[in-house]
Formats: sequence, C-alpha cells, structure tokens
Amino acid sequence: MAVTYQAMKDTARTLYERALKRIPENSHHALARAAATERSETGRNTLNFMIASARQAETRGTFVCSDAGFPVYFVKIGTRVRFDGDIKQAITDAFADLVDTIQPPILKFVTNPLTGERSYRGKDMPHVTWDLLSGADHIDITCSPKALGSGRWAALEIFSYPTLEEIERYVLEVSIRAGSQHCPPVVIGVGIGGSFDHAAKLAKLQTLRPFGSTNSEPILAAMEERLTRAVNATGFGPMGTGGDTTALGVHIDYAAGHGFTPVAVCFNCWINRRSRALIHNSGRVDWIE
Amino acid sequence: MSEIHLTLPLHPDTARSLRAGDILRVSGVAVATAGYPAHLRMAQGVRDGIPPPIDMAGAALFHMGSLSRRDDAGVMRPLYVNPTTSTRFNAFLPGIVRHFGLTVVAGKGGMDEDGVAALQQTGCVYLSMVGGAAALLTEGVTAVEATGWDDLIEQFRLSRLRLDGFGPLTVAIDAHGHSVYHDLTARARARLPAILDQLAKDRGG
Repeated sequence: MAVTYQAMKDTARTLYERALKRIPENSHHALARAAATERSETGRNTLNFMIASARQAETRGTFVCSDAGFPVYFVKIGTRVRFDGDIKQAITDAFADLVDTIQPPILKFVTNPLTGERSYRGKDMPHVTWDLLSGADHIDITCSPKALGSGRWAALEIFSYPTLEEIERYVLEVSIRAGSQHCPPVVIGVGIGGSFDHAAKLAKLQTLRPFGSTNSEPILAAMEERLTRAVNATGFGPMGTGGDTTALGVHIDYAAGHGFTPVAVCFNCWINRRSRALIHNSGRVDWIE
Repeated sequence: MSEIHLTLPLHPDTARSLRAGDILRVSGVAVATAGYPAHLRMAQGVRDGIPPPIDMAGAALFHMGSLSRRDDAGVMRPLYVNPTTSTRFNAFLPGIVRHFGLTVVAGKGGMDEDGVAALQQTGCVYLSMVGGAAALLTEGVTAVEATGWDDLIEQFRLSRLRLDGFGPLTVAIDAHGHSVYHDLTARARARLPAILDQLAKDRGG
C-alpha cells in the first residue's frame, strides 16, 4: 500500500474547501470563552455575530470569509511512507481542481506582485512547506489559506542578544501597529531566533497551534500567558472597535542560532483558517480538523 | 445598545446625527467595490471630470466584494459578499468623499486622519463591518442592481447593491472628527508604559 497521487490530490483539495467553509472547533470554543468574559457590549455582540456567522457558513456550505486567499500547505511526510505518483504535483492539481469545481465559486485572489494582476494561478502557488516525520507511515497535511487582511501586518526584526523584555516589547509594538486592522481577535504567532527565514516559519507555524495547548518550553509558556494579557490590555477588541479581546492567544517557538536573533510576529484573523488531515500508507484518511 | 435602522443613501444631516459607537442596520442602496483599480479610476475621474459608470453623488460607498449570479426570476443575487480593508484606499478616499459628497463609507479598518477630516467636512460617517462574517452579512443584500467597469475582475467592479437590514455596522468614525480607531490607538500607546511595567512584574524582574 502507498499514498497515491489521487489520495493526495483529493485530500489537499478537500482541506482547502474545509478551511474556507468552517472554522476549527477549537476556535469556536475560544471565541465563546471570550464572549463570556468580554466587558464591552459591542465587543460581545461582535464576538457572538462572528460565532453565529461561522456556524451559518458551516450549515449552508458556504464561505466563512469569502476572500479565499491563496493556498498554503504544510506537509510532513513520515519516513516510512511509500508513494505512488507525484504527490507534489498532486497539490498543484488540487488547487486547480478546487478552482474548477468548488461551489460557490471562488474569486481571483492569487496576485502577481509585479503587475497587480489577479488570477487563479501564479509563481510558487501553492505555497508548500515540506518536512519529515521520523518513523511515521503517514503524511500529515495542514491547509491554511492566507489573505491580505491579517497577512499585511506581520513583521520581523533582527536583534543582537535581545533580552526577553526587548522581545516582548517588540511583539507589543507590532500588535499596536496592526491595531484594529487585522480582524481581531487574532492568534499571534511569534518565532524567536534561528535565522531570518526560520524565525518567520516558526512564527507562522505557531499560528496553527490550537488554543489551550501548552508550550513545552517553560520560559515560553510563561511568556505566552503574560503577552496574551498584555496584548489584550491594549483594548482594540473584537473587530478593532474596542474591548478586552484583541488576541485569543499568543503562541511562541524558538530556535537556537547565533548572536543575531530574528523575532518574527504574524497574525491569523479570528476565523483562524486551518484544516488538517493524515493520509496513511493504507489509504485511510483521518480528518483531524 | 439597540440598533438604529436607516435607509441609504443618508442625508448629510442624518449622517451628522450619528455618533461614534452607534450600531446600525441599513436598507436601501449602496455602491460597492473591493478594488484598488476601481478607486484609481474614481480618483482619475474626479481629476479629469469623467463620471463613474454608477452614480455616486451622496452615495454610500461600501468596501466590499461580491460574487453574483442571475436567479430564475432574472434578478442578480449575490452568492456572497465580503468587506475589505479600507485603509488600502487611504490615498484616494479624501478626494472621493469630498467630490461625490459621500454620506457613508463602510468597510473594515477605518480611514486615516486626512480621511477623517474629509468625512467631517462632507457630513459622512465611516461604518465598520464584521470582517469574515460573509455568511450573515450576505443575507442583508437582496440584489445587485447594476455593475460598472465590467472589464475588471468581479470583486473590483462597481456594483449598486440593494440592501435590506444589512449589518450590524458600527459607526467607527463619525462626522464630527471622532474616530474610534484613532482613540483606541492613542489609548493603547498611552497604556504601553503600564503594560510594559506589568510584563516586567510578571517576569519577576
């Protein structure tokens, strides 16, 4: 048995559609918890409207946010996985198939940065990050379509031997710069250390972590808690019109590096688009989210 | 807070009667686009004296894209709508607001200081939509009555939308120079020293 081109294509396509038409249950719970404690009446109403609209999208099989963004996948391949066909091409073909068949149709969002032209295809589309899983006999694939609304506000700065204070101040500054703009309440991903590219990847991956999951690094677990409180003390609130709930969580990872320390900060908006599945050698597909 | 029900386009006096923080539901007519190229054409039209393909005098301009199909009765109905970020159009908006005497700009993220001044001068409010809430917002749009600049991709065209109970919308910038975005940013910056002090305490430093 092996993971086939067809299984990869079908799964990648379905993951994109799931990411567009529902929000993770984990996000539903986080939004509901926030609505229960939010002190701003408008903020509370906004959170409840978000929850209701997301449920409506799910019930009717339509889009939560109808900006479909562009396709972004994270693929971890078990070292015991066997392939039958070109699984890289399968992801490219999955997006083309989605464009041809999804209902309602998606609009053109893939943008050429040099010409401004919009299309359903483009250079380096879909964005795929490949990784390996030691000993596993499955592929772990996450889809997280990305759009301008929250994507625009990510930032990265290179520090030299920063203190935790400097790192935390930077996360707050980037959050205040984003202000009301990124469809809060957001999840904030932070990557510390490594290299320019690695810190950005760490930050992005942290936006995919479920709310309530515990950071295995105690220093970061404590930083996540205090930064979540700090960002929410800014007061931008749901949809940035005021309130206690600006971030549903701050998730942080780090990597060893050298004396220079990149700190990357990025955001996912409240719909927190994320879907995930495992494809086994046996052909079985487990839908995780 | 109870929702205020209004019909678009507003009279400038009605726009001036609203205050930042008010919550609205709106019916009537709005002109919508999510397109940078559409704003570029509006601004060029203002400069060159060329009117847009859909009348915008005194209109409500919605920063919102849509995808529509004709139903069995021949009415163009939106399959979905979605607000977009207004601050992308900051450079164009003051001139557009003043030239057309807009009474509403709606979208997400607000407008900059020049935009706030244009709203105040014109008698126009900025309304915040809930981004990403396409499923419920779409229920408030009953028809796409006309489109213009159809050479652009669908969400960039100008569309005249018929609304019925569209919302909720928060008055985020009123016609008196009061911007929720400005106030919240100023307040966050003012709070920053205290927030940093609290972080230091939490670190045990």
